[in-house]
Amino acid sequence: MNEVIGIIIAAVLCWLNFVIVDTYFGLPEQPGVRGARIIGKDVEKRGGDIAGGFFQGNILCSPDASAGTLMASIGYMLLGIPGGIIAAFLVFIGNRLCADPGYAGTTGCLTATAIIFLASFIGLTPEMFIVGMVIAIFTIMGIDQARISVVLGKIAEKFNRHARE
Amino acid sequence: MFNYVFDTIYFASYSNFYGLSNISLSLGDMLFAYIVAIICSIVVALLLRLPLLPSKPYRYSFDVSAIYPTPIIAIGILSIFLVLNYTFMFNGLVLAAVIGVLSALFVKYLFDFVFPTPLDENSGDDMNE
Repeated sequence: MNEVIGIIIAAVLCWLNFVIVDTYFGLPEQPGVRGARIIGKDVEKRGGDIAGGFFQGNILCSPDASAGTLMASIGYMLLGIPGGIIAAFLVFIGNRLCADPGYAGTTGCLTATAIIFLASFIGLTPEMFIVGMVIAIFTIMGIDQARISVVLGKIAEKFNRHARE
Repeated sequence: MFNYVFDTIYFASYSNFYGLSNISLSLGDMLFAYIVAIICSIVVALLLRLPLLPSKPYRYSFDVSAIYPTPIIAIGILSIFLVLNYTFMFNGLVLAAVIGVLSALFVKYLFDFVFPTPLDENSGDDMNE
């Protein structure tokens, strides 16, 4: 497959994977650590949504499904399917060190491994997923935090996981 | 049957699902070893009287249980052995069973010592509020 098209498809798949897994496991609902609360309040002050702010603070402060997807891509590129599962194990250890139960991280890692395995049938390579995941995290954290937090808040409302504050 | 599955997947797949690693097992044997490790770890964890599910609320519970994180630890450590190409005998089935038992014992007796539960939200020093 053409590399540019592959990277775009991989970025969309990664974005959907980690936003859906993270939202389902309640990242927008409450800040897991104190730093996430500070980031959420700051994003809200700049005109964003508090649930989206908590989401951004949580994926910044502990390895959740975003880091899981990235590490699963790297592990799959290096070591195949066992690499993706080793990535899930490492993300779990990192989660426990960051005062996080770790459900989102390990689930995101395993689903990302499954997605990369299935996508290899249509010619997407793990390298495309690494680049796509970097682009996906850049859209969440890098371009406009306040505006993307409104979008994340709407997704959280759809999953019934909006912050109760 | 597993050989047939392996050939089909291998021809259909563009990229190699072994990556750069040098694994001597076929995909079917590898899958079988993973399933054995998962089932072994859950069964032994239940025999050690760990609860099947974490305590409520599920998504914020730090308690260990048989479903999570015992199988994650078992298949993670089994993957490290597979990647190092150490499959003891019977295509790694014995290794999978031993790792399942050991991970259940680890979760029951050592987990709280290695990964202690974090402090409560209200305790500790408060910077902002």
